[in-house]
Amino acid sequence: MPFDPNFIRRLLPALLEGAEITIELSVLTIAICLVWGLLVALANATRGPLAWLAAAYIQIVRNTPLLIQMYLVYFGLGFAGLPLSGFMCGLLALCLQNGGYVAEIYRGGLQSVSARQYESGRALGMRRWTLYRVVVLPQVIARVIPPLANQGISIIKDTSQVAAIAVMDIMKVAQIWVESSANTYDVFLTVGLIYLSLTTIVSFGARFAERRLAFVA
Amino acid sequence: MPDTEPGRMATMPRLMLEMRGVAKRFGANEVLRGVSLSVPRGQTVVVIGPSGSGKTTLLRCINMLEDYEAGIVAVDGVPIGYAVDEKSGRRQRMAERAIAAARETIGIVFQSYNLFPHMSVLSNIIAAPIRVKGVSRPQAETRARELLAMVGLSDKEKEYPARLSGGQQQRVAIARALAMEPKIMLFDEVTSALDPELVGEVLAAMRQLARDGMTMVVVTHEMSFARDVADRVVFMDGGVIVEEGPPETMFSTPKTERVRQFLKRHNDRYRI
Repeated sequence: MPFDPNFIRRLLPALLEGAEITIELSVLTIAICLVWGLLVALANATRGPLAWLAAAYIQIVRNTPLLIQMYLVYFGLGFAGLPLSGFMCGLLALCLQNGGYVAEIYRGGLQSVSARQYESGRALGMRRWTLYRVVVLPQVIARVIPPLANQGISIIKDTSQVAAIAVMDIMKVAQIWVESSANTYDVFLTVGLIYLSLTTIVSFGARFAERRLAFVA
Repeated sequence: MPDTEPGRMATMPRLMLEMRGVAKRFGANEVLRGVSLSVPRGQTVVVIGPSGSGKTTLLRCINMLEDYEAGIVAVDGVPIGYAVDEKSGRRQRMAERAIAAARETIGIVFQSYNLFPHMSVLSNIIAAPIRVKGVSRPQAETRARELLAMVGLSDKEKEYPARLSGGQQQRVAIARALAMEPKIMLFDEVTSALDPELVGEVLAAMRQLARDGMTMVVVTHEMSFARDVADRVVFMDGGVIVEEGPPETMFSTPKTERVRQFLKRHNDRYRI
């Protein structure tokens, strides 16, 4: 029977334990993708084989379902004699796919910085790395925070797919409770509310960062 | 004591800028056709000419913002962009590191200001001295405040570029270029994007700079500035220097028909 407070009271500790895994996966994926995505975007902005490689990577990971990538990593590494834990495989697949999306977000940001900004920096004697660090990236980061926040939220929701490779995240715990209790509604409502609170934290964090990094433009 | 240091080009040491046979093309379009230009230390050369004559490209070749196919450029006797191999006589492109180092000695101010929008006025000015030259922050800030005072913007150091008028942004851009203590300053139509009311404040800062003995190459349509400030006026058309001379003769008794036409059209347009 739905809305059973006693059932929810028993369910909650188990779900929160699963939520720990969800949070770990989300935080690690977001942190890794912020760096990995930037490296891919910078590689994509070069000329030559590195750019082709980056573009091919983005095309492949963006255009295939996450679940397929997760299975391929999980079973593929097993076949290759490199069995990683479900958690690690899930993390790897999440980073692979979201890294492609984050790279595209950075690409948009890089393209939004006008050629004149690069020129000004070069004219002042800045070499490539200084130019990026001082002139280009601060402008890019200020501009990409809103789309990055969206991606962060999407990552949190995407972590639910690791349940498919037997990682005991909040979704997997939920499935087990549904199977044993048949109280589908209470379980998924509670899970939904937990996801909502996690994504809300990211939204507020992003808004705060946006205000801190905003410049008058 | 000899004027030339070891490793320098055997150019006339009094010349702050020397360009020899600089040629540049964009596809089939020959923008510069073997331009040679010398600017002695402390002088102001004003480059005039119709749109598309190659003035801006000439300026951009000086600090290698534009690569060029032939010729050499040297500032204070030091080649920039290309060096000539003494044995073979062939010109070789210098390493990016050397080109970046050479750019430190050349200040350039653009038509569209190009300030860094995410930085305050003060940060715009101190960024390159600190990050490129390794000047300490307090020292860079002191110098930046002196320069802001010079361009009349002491009260704006905390503002962001978007909150400034075009004339104010352009004066910050001048201060930013000067903060690198350049040997020569290049001005690329710096008043063309400004409201007529704001032109005067930018030209005043440039006049002051010329009086202080800065070597300057100024591309402009401001004929009165050319008349008052230039030591020499250079007229370009079709990628070549058609005529050059002191402003008093260029504006009153030009030698070539092309310059006469240009000045007549210009005077007709601006006569009230």
